[in-house]
Amino acid sequence: MKLLLTIAWRNILRHKGKSLVIGVILFTGAFLMTVGNGVISGMAAGIEKNIINGFMGDIALISDAQKSDNILLNMMGSSIEPITTYRKIKEILLAQPYVRRFLPVGKNLAMLLDESTVTPGYAYLLGADFSEYRKMFPDNFTVIEGSYPAPGERALLVPAFARDEFYDFYNIWFLPEGGGVVKENLKKEALADINSLVVSTSVVMMGMTSGINTTSDIRFPVRGIVRYGALNQIFGHFCLVDIESYRECLGYFTAADMSVQVPKEEKKLLGMEGPDLDSLFGGDAMIVRDYKAAPKLRAAPAAAKTAEDGVYNAVFIKLVDGVSYKEALAKLNRAMAGGGTEVRAVPWNKASGPMGGMALIIKSALFIFVTLLFCVAVIIIVNTLTMSAIERSSEIGMMRAVGARKTFIAGMFLGETAILSAVFGGLGIAAGILAVKIIPLLEITTKNDMLQLLYGGNFFNPLLSFSGIALTAFQLLVVTVIAALYPMRVAVGITPLDAISRE
Amino acid sequence: MNIIEIRELKKEYPLGNTIVPALRGVDLEVEEGEFMSIIGPSGSGKTTLLNVIGCIDFATAGSVTVGGREITTLSDTQVTDLRLNKIGFIFQNFNLIPVLDVFENIEFPLLLMKKSGAEARKRAEKLVEEVGLKEFAAHRPAELSGGQRQRVAIARALVTNPEIVLADEPTANLDSVTGAAILELMRRMNELEKTTFVFSTHDANVLKYARRIVKIKDGLIEKEPAAA
Ligand SMILES: Nc1ncnc2c1ncn2[C@@H]1O[C@H](COP(=O)(O)OP(=O)(O)OP(=O)(O)O)[C@@H](O)[C@H]1O
Ligand SMILES: [Mg+2]
Repeated sequence: MKLLLTIAWRNILRHKGKSLVIGVILFTGAFLMTVGNGVISGMAAGIEKNIINGFMGDIALISDAQKSDNILLNMMGSSIEPITTYRKIKEILLAQPYVRRFLPVGKNLAMLLDESTVTPGYAYLLGADFSEYRKMFPDNFTVIEGSYPAPGERALLVPAFARDEFYDFYNIWFLPEGGGVVKENLKKEALADINSLVVSTSVVMMGMTSGINTTSDIRFPVRGIVRYGALNQIFGHFCLVDIESYRECLGYFTAADMSVQVPKEEKKLLGMEGPDLDSLFGGDAMIVRDYKAAPKLRAAPAAAKTAEDGVYNAVFIKLVDGVSYKEALAKLNRAMAGGGTEVRAVPWNKASGPMGGMALIIKSALFIFVTLLFCVAVIIIVNTLTMSAIERSSEIGMMRAVGARKTFIAGMFLGETAILSAVFGGLGIAAGILAVKIIPLLEITTKNDMLQLLYGGNFFNPLLSFSGIALTAFQLLVVTVIAALYPMRVAVGITPLDAISRE
Repeated sequence: MNIIEIRELKKEYPLGNTIVPALRGVDLEVEEGEFMSIIGPSGSGKTTLLNVIGCIDFATAGSVTVGGREITTLSDTQVTDLRLNKIGFIFQNFNLIPVLDVFENIEFPLLLMKKSGAEARKRAEKLVEEVGLKEFAAHRPAELSGGQRQRVAIARALVTNPEIVLADEPTANLDSVTGAAILELMRRMNELEKTTFVFSTHDANVLKYARRIVKIKDGLIEKEPAAA
């Protein structure tokens, strides 16, 4: 073994040019692999961080009646089934040690209404208790204008991104109540039009749901304009609203006016299930009402009805750190089924739909790139090593004549490639690690959401896990073995006679 | 006892569409401990014969027994091990491993035999001394003269204590003084270790050392003259 490595090592030194060619290829391959893995892991971590920490937690509970798991970034128009069993759910969740925190929310599409315009604009409404929301997601966005609503206050938070879009639809620039136009935050077109800019401090929205026929148009006072830390083009479609206004808007029974929760059976009886968009446009759909004047659908119950008794669409759950994802999902599903809650648990990557898919596409592209890279590397290395085997045939034949077995010759070649790939590949990995560590320090930023997904945060932040490095090392090993295989065959095929006839 | 037994050995080389008969029915017996020379004109088949005996080339027809084993029946690994354990080969163009120094080149077969490090070193040291290359032990082949390289090749052939040493014109590339020294060394080894030596030459000076001379011509052994 020592003899093999000695000979291999000295041969490397003896054929410096060739060794260098192979070395550079291996170095480049290992470097790109490492950085690539870093980007992938950074991206995976970034998506997780952005979505889990800032958007929906690890797991969402959704109604059993809900067909698609993708409740957050679903196609426009398909509504999310209501959950009416939150009381039971809460009790069960409180008893689960692996659940760190949870937040019941309403989530559905709403149409922006404006008396003067015919084309409607859309936004997602996320209904939640503001103070609970803040506890669940303490730093996912910053309020850039106005203020964060007080607990229990009826209000709407509009993302800057949505405001820009609303402007495109209506030429109205929405402002928080009591706030003025902040020039830096103005959309370019709006800035150009600043003298005739129409501003408004309230938004009229009509909830869009297929389940219940009594959606209402609600005028929401804008309390603040927010900007998400990342993925504004995705998260920016979500306007945060207090849960009671949300329910009114969607035509759900609010806690205040609800004496009986809406059981599923009853809705079925009424024959209002199914994504029938036409049913959304009832006769009174265009009548604008102020939330304060919203009619009570049922007589207010006398006592003890809190917001928690009302209708939600999902419950966001954050898990205790280090808890196995799959286990938690299974346990939750068991507990929820056992408790008669008629909800099921889905992981974040399913609930947030296409974003998981996007990550997969990027991963695949990178994988294909790396595979191509290694194919090229293998071809060049095979070529170089085969040449060197042929050049050394008198030396190899002589070794065979003196009594070296085929395995010895094979080992010598494998040893050479192994040393080269260990040294240069190792350097490549090291350089890759270094690059991955340095890149975040450069704080490269982007406004592009696809890139933000890659960046995994506000700035390009590739990550490297031990397993990522191990994967690179393993891939390098595979390349080494594959690349050495053919030259080894050639070398092994050299006979002692070849040594002698070469004079 | 015959350490080498050759019967009806034929060796043909294909050359384009024709066939070149290099050996045309050789019968030869070599006893253990012999110091034998094969002579003959150029192209007579000396190298071919030595290659077949050394299991480096293989017969087209006939039987070759080396150390009691019929080599045509052996696998590649068995043949390799036979070369390693029983035969020492000195090539005409003294092939050495360029990346190993003198000492390492001599030690090489011992390491292939998986001899223990200390044992191998001792034996290699002895051989380095015997071929008079002690001061050159750390030199690479490229830093040696032709004669020195040939001495390294001889030491390497002898280091495993082989039963047979085959040498193809061991002195062809050497001046007469160096050639004589090499032959002296081989002779001494033969006497000391009872190693069988078979070498080819067409140098009359070399013949003086041989105790038995076999003449070969056009791929056939001629009648043997009396031993020198
Ligand atoms: N690889 C080969 N292919 C074809 N013919 C060969 C080959 N090797 C040897 N021969 C032929 O076989 C015959 C014997 O060659 P060999 O090398 O054994 O002669 P030799 O006695 O060693 O000659 P020299 O004294 O010149 O070394 C020659 O006619 C030679 O041309
Ligand atoms: Mg010859």
